[in-house]
Amino acid sequence: MERLSFRLFTIFIALLFALFLFAAITTLFLIPKPNEIIESIKSEEMAYSLKLSLVTASISTLLVMLFGIPIGYALSRFDFYGKSAVKSILDLPMAFPELVLGLALLLLFGRTTFGGALNSLGINVVFTKLGIIVAQFFTALPYTARVIYTAFESISKRYELVARSLGYGEFETFRKVTLPMARSGLFASTIIAFARSVGTFGSVLILAGGSYMNTEILPVTLYLNISYGNIGMAITSGIMLIIVSFTAILIFERLEGSKNVSVRG
Amino acid sequence: MSLLEVKDLNINLGEFHLRDVSLTVEKNNYLTIIGPTGAGKSVLLEVIAGFYPIKSGKITLAGRNITALPPENRGMSIVYQDFMLFPHLNVFDNIAFGLRKKALSRAEIEREVRTISRELRIDQLLHRKPKTLSGGEQQRVAIARALVIRPKMLLMDEPFSALDEKTREKLRSMVKKAVKDYSTTVIHVTHDFEDVFSLANRVAVMKDGRIVQEGTPEEIFCKPTSDFVADFVGTNFFHGRVLESSNITTISIGNIAIYTTEVAEPGAEVTLSVRPEAIILTRELGMYSARNVLPARVVKVKKRGHVLWLTLDVEGLTLRAVITLNAAELLGIKEGVKLYIMFKASSVRVIG
Ligand SMILES: Nc1ncnc2c1ncn2[C@@H]1O[C@H](COP(=O)(O)OP(=O)(O)OP(=O)(O)O)[C@@H](O)[C@H]1O
Ligand SMILES: [Mg+2]
Repeated sequence: MERLSFRLFTIFIALLFALFLFAAITTLFLIPKPNEIIESIKSEEMAYSLKLSLVTASISTLLVMLFGIPIGYALSRFDFYGKSAVKSILDLPMAFPELVLGLALLLLFGRTTFGGALNSLGINVVFTKLGIIVAQFFTALPYTARVIYTAFESISKRYELVARSLGYGEFETFRKVTLPMARSGLFASTIIAFARSVGTFGSVLILAGGSYMNTEILPVTLYLNISYGNIGMAITSGIMLIIVSFTAILIFERLEGSKNVSVRG
Repeated sequence: MSLLEVKDLNINLGEFHLRDVSLTVEKNNYLTIIGPTGAGKSVLLEVIAGFYPIKSGKITLAGRNITALPPENRGMSIVYQDFMLFPHLNVFDNIAFGLRKKALSRAEIEREVRTISRELRIDQLLHRKPKTLSGGEQQRVAIARALVIRPKMLLMDEPFSALDEKTREKLRSMVKKAVKDYSTTVIHVTHDFEDVFSLANRVAVMKDGRIVQEGTPEEIFCKPTSDFVADFVGTNFFHGRVLESSNITTISIGNIAIYTTEVAEPGAEVTLSVRPEAIILTRELGMYSARNVLPARVVKVKKRGHVLWLTLDVEGLTLRAVITLNAAELLGIKEGVKLYIMFKASSVRVIG
């Protein structure tokens, strides 16, 4: 009897939460008037913000994957000096708020000799579009590297040993065996990297500054327009964010699905 | 010169050490490594393959020092218990995988793959994905993938453990033939003495990271040099002479005759093995399907866990049998009791 009611209790909580979340998301689409949304979409600001979001998030995703794959692989396959330190440092950004990460990056690039050196090379990160990418990169990489690590962990090392014994070097083995076997995990990581990058707000705001039509990405548009009391624009950018993320997921799934089919055939 | 020479090998894996392992394998030999779980059999195999850094010691292959050579340059291939077929490649590409690293034309690769596939009877499966194959088929693909590159040495880690007994038997005879046709030298880790009896001409016994005895199957099973090996192999041996071999083989041992389903040359001196658990005890004679029925006297009774180990005297021959406590009670087993033992002719193996 007790077990049954506990079971009902957990199911009830699960349903209740899902319902609330669903209601909240639906409200986003129901509250604004259609013409308000269309006006907002047509606005120059929205077009700018959407485009900048797509461009920066795509570049960040690419960079995150380029860094995440070696990091995930090294953590999963090799024992090296400082490995546990790398693991803990990668865990840090998940524990502390994005805003603080942004602040830390701002100080690193703005107030240190390292930042100064970059500056003198003509690389300006603070309050620039490059800053958006840097902020997105640092926010998304830890999450992504972790997912990639799990993907590699799930592949037995012995597949690689077999390939090595058949004459393949370390890198060839990685390319011909590990990478193809990790494919679905890497697709999932790419989606996560992209979704995290598009949605990054706090660290972008601090490092790149949320300046109108300059470093304005969708989350910044939402924030700026809320503060001006411009609800229509705010909601529209929210909807845009959701659409972008879902489209990304759909595209990636389609890509992966079609590859699967061709491999099977 | 031996093909493989392992000398004073030491490996430190933290909790586990390989200690002073020395081993030689002659060309075209078939060495099985046996020993309790955790003895370090798999580690030793992977060390030979080049997957672990070595603390001290030396490995030579065909006279060449390969101690520091990476696995891809050793020319040894490995077969694991759970197949390890590349799931993203079909059977053909799995088998051709190692060949593609060699300077071979497309036609040559195709021919090599077809040859080994026919040998292991997987030529109908070449277009399939590994996932769609049975365990026995997958392992044959894995063996084909390893053999097709004509390795200097084939390493197998319990290759038949994941298969049922029937499939095992089938694979044993296929492997035996393939290994001969490709004149391959083999190291085969196993828990199954059947593998030893039907495939090996050398055996090494490992315990706690050391090799405790190495020799021919007969030496290991008949002349164990330590109590550990004697206990571990724990099987019964007899030396005898083949009287006749038609549909059943009769072998005379002292003043008794033992029947086996295995074929042997009449007149030859042979060694037989019977597993202790294959021996059935009875107080009275009746009608049995077992061919071998002999009178015996219980000499010693030793309790080990839930079973009793009996030492029996069978017309001057010493034999070990194992029975459950229940059965012992039912039969009134104690030292000095006289009874009969029986075992099927198919339980008697000719091992040398
Ligand atoms: N990479 C490793 N690092 C540390 N210890 C290891 C490693 N690989 C194996 N060991 C340990 O070495 C010991 C021997 O392992 P091994 O797999 O060689 O045993 P085995 O004789 O093959 O046993 P089994 O018959 O169960 O396969 C075990 O205690 C195992 O936990
Ligand atoms: Mg093992």
